[in-house]
Amino acid sequence: MATPPRTMVSPSSRRGDAKLAWLMITPAVAGFLVFFAYPAVKGVYYSFTSFHILTPPKWVGLANWREMFGDSVFWHSLLVTAYFVGLSVVAGVLISLVTAVVLHRLTGSTVIRGLILLPFLISGVVSALVWQWMLDPQLGIVSRLLEKITGSHTLFLGDSHWAIPTLAAISVWKSMGYNAILIFAGLQTIPASVYEAGRLDGAGEAQMFRRLTVPLLRPILAMVVVLTVIGSFQVFDIVQVTTRGGPANASNVLQMYIYEKGFGELDFGYAATMSLALFVLLSAITFTQMRLARAGETDLA
Amino acid sequence: MTAFRAGRRRSAAALLAGLGLLATLAGCGAGAGSGTTTVNWWTWDDKQAIAYQSCADAFERAHPDIHVKITQYDSADYFTKLLSGFVSDTAPDAFMNSVQYLQQYASLKQLMPLDSFIDKSHVDMGAFSVGVNDWKYTDGKQYGLPMDWASAALYYNTDMLAKAGYTAADVDHLTWNPDDGGSFEKMVAHLTVDRNGVRGDQPGFDKHHVKVYGISSMVTVGNDFNGLTTWRPFASSLGWRAGNKASWPTEFTYDDPRLVKTFDFFRDLTDKGFAPAPGEFASAGNAPDGGQLLGSGKVAIYSGGSWEAATLDKLPGLHVGTGPLVAGPDGTRATVSNANGNVIWSGTKHPDQTWAWVSYMGSVQCQSTASRTGTFLPSIPAATEASVAAMAKQGVDLGVFLQQDRTHQLLPNSPYANGTALQAAVLPLMQQFFAHQKNGSVFPQMAEESRKLLTETD
Repeated sequence: MATPPRTMVSPSSRRGDAKLAWLMITPAVAGFLVFFAYPAVKGVYYSFTSFHILTPPKWVGLANWREMFGDSVFWHSLLVTAYFVGLSVVAGVLISLVTAVVLHRLTGSTVIRGLILLPFLISGVVSALVWQWMLDPQLGIVSRLLEKITGSHTLFLGDSHWAIPTLAAISVWKSMGYNAILIFAGLQTIPASVYEAGRLDGAGEAQMFRRLTVPLLRPILAMVVVLTVIGSFQVFDIVQVTTRGGPANASNVLQMYIYEKGFGELDFGYAATMSLALFVLLSAITFTQMRLARAGETDLA
Repeated sequence: MTAFRAGRRRSAAALLAGLGLLATLAGCGAGAGSGTTTVNWWTWDDKQAIAYQSCADAFERAHPDIHVKITQYDSADYFTKLLSGFVSDTAPDAFMNSVQYLQQYASLKQLMPLDSFIDKSHVDMGAFSVGVNDWKYTDGKQYGLPMDWASAALYYNTDMLAKAGYTAADVDHLTWNPDDGGSFEKMVAHLTVDRNGVRGDQPGFDKHHVKVYGISSMVTVGNDFNGLTTWRPFASSLGWRAGNKASWPTEFTYDDPRLVKTFDFFRDLTDKGFAPAPGEFASAGNAPDGGQLLGSGKVAIYSGGSWEAATLDKLPGLHVGTGPLVAGPDGTRATVSNANGNVIWSGTKHPDQTWAWVSYMGSVQCQSTASRTGTFLPSIPAATEASVAAMAKQGVDLGVFLQQDRTHQLLPNSPYANGTALQAAVLPLMQQFFAHQKNGSVFPQMAEESRKLLTETD
C-alpha cells in the first residue's frame, strides 16, 4: 500500500522520460524546421511562381512544370547525371569492395587503412583542381605520360566524350577510401568461423568471396550503394571547378543546370521546380533501392 | 581595486567604441562621427582598380567629406557577388557593369536612372565618342556612363614572324576571304610548325603534333559566345551584324550565310592544325590569357583584346607587335567595340555623393589620369589621345586602336535582353559545331534560340 508505484512502468514516469526526450531533440527539431522544412516548403511554393529574387514572386501555376517537361536541356542533363551516377556507382562500389577485401585478408595495418582514406579527407574543390592540373593537355603529368607512351594525348575534361568518365573517375578516386572503410567495417562483423567452415568445405578465396563475403555484406553494400547514388546525383563542386558543364553541355549535370538557371539567369522559380523534381526522383530511387536490397535485414543471424 | 576599475573603464570604452563603429557602419547619410561618407565602387578588372585609385585620390582631395573605396572581384565571381549584394542590401553604391547585364539589372530595378543627375550637373554626353546608346534601357533612360571601349587586334611574336620571312607591314596588309583564306591563311599556315620543324604549308606537315600554332584558338574561347576577340571581326568584315536592329534586337541573325561561312572557315583552319582545337590549351572556362599563350611560344599570333596591349608589349624577353584587324574581301575592317558602363545601384544610401564620384570618373580629367596606365581605352577621345601618348613613351603601341577609332572600324555593341540565358543556350551549340558534333543545323537553331530569348519579357 505504502509502496509508491514507482517500480512499475507507470504513465507518469514515462511522461518524465518524454519530457527529457523532447528537451534533447529540441535543437535538432528546431534546426530541421528552420533549415530544412521551411526552405523545402518555400521551394515547393516557388516552383509554382515566376521568381527573380529581387522582385516579389508571381504565381504562374504549372507553367514551370510544363516548361520542364518540354526542356530538352533538362532531359539531357538528367541523362548526363544518370550516366555519371552509373559510372561512379558501378566503378566506385566494385573498386571499394575489392580494396576492402584485399585490406581485410592481407593486412591489419592501420597506417595502410589510413592511407586509403586520404583522398576522402581532401575537399572536393581541391581534388578537382589537382586533377585538372594533372590532366591539363599541355602541362599535366597524365597527359605528358600518355604522350610518351602512345604518342598522342586525350583532352579529358575538354573533350565531350571524355568529360563525364573523367569526372566520374575523380569522384570515384575521392570517395573510394571512405566506402572501402565502411565495407571493411562490415567485413569485420563476419565471424572468422564462417571462413573456417568454408575452407574446411574446400572453397577457394574467390569462391568464398562470392558465396560468403558478398551475401553477408549485403546490408553494408546496400548502404554504400544508396549513399553513392545520392552523393553522385548531387555532384556539383568538381563539375563547377573543372568544366562548368561544358564542353557543349557534355557535363552539364542536373545540379549545375539548376545552379546556372538560378544564380546565372535569376530564374529561381524554374530552378526550384527542377530541384523539386530531383528531390522526388532521389526519394523514389532511395526507397526502391532500400526495398530491393532488404537493407534492414542481415543474413548473419 | 584600481586595476579592476581601470579594466572596467577600458571595457566600457571598448564597448562604446564598438557601438560607435556599428553606428558608422550602419550610419546612413551624414555618417556618424567623422563626417565622411564612404562610397563603395566595384570593378572586375584588377588593372582598372589600380588605375582608378589615382582618380580616387584626386577626387578625395577635392571632396574631403567623401571617401571612395574601390574593390575588385574576379569576373568569374563578380556578378554572383553583385547579386548577393542586391539581395542582402550590401551592393556597392556604384559599379562597373557589362552591357550583357544591363537588361537583367535594369528590369529588376537595381539600377538608378541617371538622366536627372546628368541634367542637373550639365554633363555633356556628346563628350563620349562611343557607348552612350549601349547604356540606354528600353525605357529610353540612361542607366550608365560609358567608361571605356574595347576592340581586338592581332598580337604577334616578332621573332617568329621574322624567322618565317614576314615583316610588320605584311601583318598590316593581311586580307582574308572565307573561300581560300587569303593572305591571312597563308601566313597562319606558314607560321605553324610541327614537332619535326615542318611548316604548315609544306609537304609532310603533321597536324597532330603541332609545336607552334600559327594563331591562337579562333573558335569559342572561354565562354565568349560573342567572339569579340576571335571570329567576330572576321564576320563583321563580311558585313555580318549580330542584331537585326541597332538597339534591343529581336533576333541575332546566326543563320546569315556570312556568319556560317566564317564559322566554316575557322573550323577548317582548326582542322588543318593551324589553330589549336578548343580545350587544347584549357579546360572549359579557364582560358589561358595572351601572355601565357605568346609567352610559352605555343602560338605565333594571338588574337586578343585591346585591354591586353600594355601587358603583352611588356612581356619580358619577348618582342610583341600589334597588328590591325584583318581586312575582308572588299577591304572592310570592322569589329564590335564593347563599352563597359559605370552604373549606380538603386539601393545606394548616398546618391548625391555617389553621383559626384561617378561623374568625376566620367570626366576628361579622371579618364586621362586613369587611362595613362594603358589598361583601357577611354570613351572620351581627348583622354584616349593622352593615354596613347603616355603609353608610347613606355614603348607600348596603341596606334592600332586609335586608327580603328579614326577610320570608323568600330561598330556599336547593341544592348540586348537576357544575355546570360542567351549565352547558356547558344554557346553549347557553337561548341558542338566546332567539335564536329553537329553541322549546319546549329545555325537556324541558334537564330531560333535568339528569337525566343531576345524577346522574352518577364
